[in-house]
Amino acid sequence: MKSNNGIKFLTPAVSPGNHCPMRIASVNVEKIKGLSSLLVGMPECATHSRLYNPKPEGRNGELHWLYVLDAQEVVFGCRNGLIDALRKMDNAGAKAILMIVTCIPELIGEDIQAILNEVQPELSARITFVMLGQFKNISYPPGSWKTMEALGMLMDGKATDSNRINVLGRAPEEEHIPLPSLLPALTGRGIALRYLAPGSSLEDFQSAPDAVLNLVVSPFMQPLAARMEQEFGVPYISLHTLYDVESIDKAYRALGERFGYSWDGAFDKERQEALTLQKQAEKRLGGLQYIFFPRIDIPLPLAVYLTKLGMEPLLLHLEEYYPEDREYAKELTDMGYNPWICRMVNAQADLPILKKLAPDLCFGYLPEPNKTIPCVPDLFDFYGQVGYARTNHLLKRILSILNEISIAEKGGTVHGAASI
Amino acid sequence: MGLHRFKPLPSGRMGILWTLASIRGAALVEFGCMGHMLYSGVTLKRAGVHNACKLYSTHIDETDIALGGTERLNHTIDNVVMRDHPRVIFLLPSSIPEVIGTDLPALCAELQQEYPGVRLLPFGYGGFNVTQHRGVQEALLLLAKTLAVGVKRTQEPTFNIIGSCADLFRFQADAMELVRIMEGTFGIKPLCVMTSDTSITEIENMGGAHINLVIRGEGEPAAKHLQQCFGTPYLLGRPYGIDGTTRWLDQIAQIAGLTADAAFLKAQREISRQQLAAVMPSFRHIIRAHPEEAVLSLGGHADVVRGILSFGCGEFSLGKGTCWCDCPDMTSEDIPYFSEEQWTQAVQKHQKGYLMASGEALEWAGRNTELQISNPDTKWRLHPYEPPFMGFRGAVHLVNLWINENIED
Repeated sequence: MKSNNGIKFLTPAVSPGNHCPMRIASVNVEKIKGLSSLLVGMPECATHSRLYNPKPEGRNGELHWLYVLDAQEVVFGCRNGLIDALRKMDNAGAKAILMIVTCIPELIGEDIQAILNEVQPELSARITFVMLGQFKNISYPPGSWKTMEALGMLMDGKATDSNRINVLGRAPEEEHIPLPSLLPALTGRGIALRYLAPGSSLEDFQSAPDAVLNLVVSPFMQPLAARMEQEFGVPYISLHTLYDVESIDKAYRALGERFGYSWDGAFDKERQEALTLQKQAEKRLGGLQYIFFPRIDIPLPLAVYLTKLGMEPLLLHLEEYYPEDREYAKELTDMGYNPWICRMVNAQADLPILKKLAPDLCFGYLPEPNKTIPCVPDLFDFYGQVGYARTNHLLKRILSILNEISIAEKGGTVHGAASI
Repeated sequence: MGLHRFKPLPSGRMGILWTLASIRGAALVEFGCMGHMLYSGVTLKRAGVHNACKLYSTHIDETDIALGGTERLNHTIDNVVMRDHPRVIFLLPSSIPEVIGTDLPALCAELQQEYPGVRLLPFGYGGFNVTQHRGVQEALLLLAKTLAVGVKRTQEPTFNIIGSCADLFRFQADAMELVRIMEGTFGIKPLCVMTSDTSITEIENMGGAHINLVIRGEGEPAAKHLQQCFGTPYLLGRPYGIDGTTRWLDQIAQIAGLTADAAFLKAQREISRQQLAAVMPSFRHIIRAHPEEAVLSLGGHADVVRGILSFGCGEFSLGKGTCWCDCPDMTSEDIPYFSEEQWTQAVQKHQKGYLMASGEALEWAGRNTELQISNPDTKWRLHPYEPPFMGFRGAVHLVNLWINENIED
């Protein structure tokens, strides 16, 4: 498998299937303060986008408007209509506009870049766009990473601030997600952090090229980091793909060396805990076969980690095959494993197949609770977390599920009265 | 179509889907990208459609488009037949197959012979100039043409409701009120509530009914077809208000030769009037002393607007405010179609009186969303037992909404 196209459906009848990338783009754009959007598509896309971005105007003057193609535009293109729409949004006070282009305008080959080249000089608002036809972007991740990457077009080069680091993949206010200990450690050494993700402001994004470094903590932000490196020379370090203690050690050491810092044992406690848990996990997980269900953000790096702990991958659901996944796929095959890759789009039809494979453990989201398949659910909640603490949380969760299974296998309950 | 701030007029494809999705004993397969069906499913759940037609999509990718591949459709149908054993599979095109010209009827004809026990029913009217209401109309007509079979008239009188579909606001509650008053007035039961509460078998048997009650204009071609094939008379109209509902029942009695239960009718009228009695002095005062406040403005489906208007301004003596419908094909002199620009202006200009429109419009304008009579909706409608707008109970409900609006003012 070399790309997204290589991921086949496990069973053919889609019900209900994956989210459309348009949905995720609509959700994300609504969360960026100051950014307006223009969704371009058919009545279906325009109507359904309102499920997730319901109001035409935001609290801070954002406009979230819709452009619907008519029968004539499907045949002859919508260039004039779009230019007129952008002018109207500009006049209405939009500061910057992200055009979310859906299936039909992408299918008819509307040249959005040419439209922008033509109209941008006369507009005050900066315009960018993202092509999200679902026939090319089968699942939802492009709605995140392509949208974030498109925001690079709104940035301009700036003088570098040697004390500024962007954290790509967390919003400024995300109290419900634990803060990786690395971030306060950096702040404590005089580094100013700028958080970039849905939840940040347009201004944050536009100022981002002044940073000396980008730290990536979510897969959805890596393409923007790559773009910023290429266009503005801001280097990046990816932390979201690192699970094992050794690779986290290496990344933190490199980061310290880059700034001339010594971490002074700031992470010793959580690192030691991670080492202990890793050893326990190796003992408990060794030889167990596993399957990945949907809703795992970083499947191949996680698969590599679990396999290094001694587990055997049987079947992996992938929402998206990122370019960097090739390296992780190679790591898996180098370890002697070549698991099946699929896309699960019909839970009811898929379930009998998954049961037949009889995995020891599954990871991810199973729509219908099925106790015959032991599962480590809810891996989405590691969003925005990296480092030793994330590894600790992950391993604790896996080990606790294993404990539950072994209790169930022993029969009876641990607590309560017994008969004579 | 062009630039919109609010949800645009839905496509014919969406109208067809909303009409079919509530039919039990069937599966619906959309040939196209899977996101559309996923969100249609969400929209239907929000509207209160549960456990009816099973919804599937094939998905379609760039290779299928470039090479005209339709294998996904074959595999999906095969899988659905094997797993669900539906009597009928409805097949819908989505926008991409419409652009590339996939011939769904031809594909179905080819595949049909492989599945002799399952009817494959392709739906057209997926073109880009076909709007929701036309889609609903064509779906109702095609169901009547292809599924209804020649059956004997039922021994006891029965009726069908045609046009109760998930695209109308509070469709289930209105249909239930009609069933209640038909049972009470004539002691007769429905054969088929098309399509909000029905199955393939009930549609097949709808030719046995003694009368078809068509509750929206889009249902009339289907009713005409059933009249032609089975001789079933029909009545087109939505009953609103106490007198309006009584008149509607009188017409049914005449057309179908039924005798109304006078005691039931009298009791219904009396109960309704008693329930309204407490607020009538207030309304008389408002109408007489503050006529500018006793104005009814309505926006929504043309038949709904006309019906509520006839009750409010006829039976109830309110003044007519700005009224509009949501479909250009249904525009008329008294209830014109309003574009987004026109209805947003009308809503903004509305100062006094009662404004009843879509949930989206009322919410945006900061108006009382209790006065919603049409879609687009903005909320979940999980249970179908909310008060209706039609029938005797609907009359009381409407007046209740208006009097509360007076209090809030």
